[in-house]
Amino acid sequence: MVVGMALRDAGMEVVYGGNQTPKGIVNTAIQEGVDVIGLSVYSAGHMRLISEVIQNLKKERVEDILLVVGGIIPRVDIPVLKEAGVDEVFLPGASPDKIVEFIKKNAGLKGEGK
Amino acid sequence: MASEKIITTMSGIPLKAVYTPEDVAQINFAEILGTPGSPPYTRGIYPQMYREKQWTIRQFSGFTTPEETNKRLKYEYQMGQTGLSVAFDAVTENGLNSDDPRAQGDIGAGGVPTNSLADMETMFEGLPIDRVNTGVIGNPPASLPLSAMYFAVAEKRGIPWRNLGGTTQNDILLFTVCNTPIDQIPPRALIRLSVDLVEWCAINLPHWNPVSIASYNYRENGINAYQELAFLLANAIAYLEEGLRRNRLTIDQLAPAISFHLAAHNDFFEEIAKFRAARRMWYRLTKERYHAQNPRSQVLRFHVQTAGSTHTYQQPFNNIVRIAYQVLAAALGGAQSIHANSFDEAICLPTEQSVLLSIRTQQIAQFETNVSNVVDPLGGSFHVECLTNEIEERAWDYLKKIENEGGLVTAIESGWVHREWRNAMEEYGRKVASAEYPMVGVNCFQMEEEPYECEVFRPDPHAGSILAGKLEALRRTRDQKVVSAALERLRQASKAGENVMPAVLEAVKALATLGEIIDIWRDLYSIWTPAVVR
Repeated sequence: MVVGMALRDAGMEVVYGGNQTPKGIVNTAIQEGVDVIGLSVYSAGHMRLISEVIQNLKKERVEDILLVVGGIIPRVDIPVLKEAGVDEVFLPGASPDKIVEFIKKNAGLKGEGK
Repeated sequence: MASEKIITTMSGIPLKAVYTPEDVAQINFAEILGTPGSPPYTRGIYPQMYREKQWTIRQFSGFTTPEETNKRLKYEYQMGQTGLSVAFDAVTENGLNSDDPRAQGDIGAGGVPTNSLADMETMFEGLPIDRVNTGVIGNPPASLPLSAMYFAVAEKRGIPWRNLGGTTQNDILLFTVCNTPIDQIPPRALIRLSVDLVEWCAINLPHWNPVSIASYNYRENGINAYQELAFLLANAIAYLEEGLRRNRLTIDQLAPAISFHLAAHNDFFEEIAKFRAARRMWYRLTKERYHAQNPRSQVLRFHVQTAGSTHTYQQPFNNIVRIAYQVLAAALGGAQSIHANSFDEAICLPTEQSVLLSIRTQQIAQFETNVSNVVDPLGGSFHVECLTNEIEERAWDYLKKIENEGGLVTAIESGWVHREWRNAMEEYGRKVASAEYPMVGVNCFQMEEEPYECEVFRPDPHAGSILAGKLEALRRTRDQKVVSAALERLRQASKAGENVMPAVLEAVKALATLGEIIDIWRDLYSIWTPAVVR
């Protein structure tokens, strides 16, 4: 929520997806035409949930959507997630400004000229 | 000239540099303190408190499978825990079976999956539930079948229900405000079902607490100490009102069934004062508003959990210290039962090692600090007495606000509670970001490299298929005719507005699954969408 407010203050449009399945999240993202998906994960099942989101993004051919994750992610998992396709992981206590900065810099660029 | 900076408690109560006899000179101690075990119970609900019996060490646990959870419960019991408490996974809490298509990825990850009576039996195999009581930490609607499963286990073991002790959380709040579960039924339906459990237990299980009003969950979302008390009471009022509306039980039958679950947050003296104020407020509410005569109606019996939101991901060993201070605050505040989070809670579920430390933390508080030797040892402190009064006053004011919104259920349905909660959360977030609320390791004393290595507990990725297998076997071997008949009886009882517990028990004993039972209520009440907060 705090992050959502910071993003809004920075002029971005924020859509709250609510508590959805990975497939639902990707469908909402497509429907709303978003540039970024931000996942907030507090359950211990993050690896499976996030990989399902990535799989669905691949399936729907929308891998150019920036994918950022925040919440309770053990540090050792961060490189694994980034390998799998997560663009950035923000740990608890991360400054909302840093998140805004990252998104501003990277949204819409993914998949271009690389 | 610089003016003196105003220092306040976390909830904003201004603090003087020092408190003196003048500050309490106007207080009528006989009236507002009483003695422990007597009205208004400020000093404690029993005359001897921990001198006679220490608070219960009750660690909330559960993960992967009923078998694994059984092992962990046994381990905790062997290590000296004196009460049991079960955490269910998100899928079970949401009232879905582990193989439901709506259940994805979370099975066994944040608690134990529990689909049927068979699972509950496995979970409590070899545990002395006749002597040690259990917290069934499920919320409506799942709280009904989960409790029924536990009662059925006891019955099978020959333990008379009139002797069975324990608690069901059964609080409508968590899944209407704090989380948005998949396919939830409306708040009014949740209250109806919760109070069915309360009513039924009030008559049939006199030692069971069929509800534990969990202001803890509110507090975890950023509201402050006196708001916590106001929501605590508003929630209890909603249950009492629904119970009394049915005209079947009196206040003196209903109120004793209500127990509570509060947070122990960081501001040491504020939390202690909060617990004391809570007891006095409950006494005043039950006596003055509801004219309760039975002392058992008037005493606030509560469990405390150390505040998870204060534990940090960064430098996790620091949490050991936070938790110790919070346990101490709960002890000085007179809690009946305490759960000490594990230090790695901000990262993962507790490992055996970290839960052991939580148990030892409580045992050290109980046996080494000697705070248990005197009842309400801070009573009479000029500061603590003033603070207790201040918190009580602000809590009554905030309760009035909630009541002006139509009471808790209406305030949840209208989105008012969500808005208050969101505002509090934003403010809390702002204060942490600006370091106005210091958080060692997070907004001060940060370190680039983590100084402590912390073993990370991993949920078992096979939990889903293990539980799906159990469900498949259950469906194959149970008598489907008996199950269908029982579910039909439940549907009828639910529709007719009868107390559903007898039918729930019958369904559970017939080996109906959790999901089958709750789908009946989903059909009957339809799915609720919380008012969206923007």
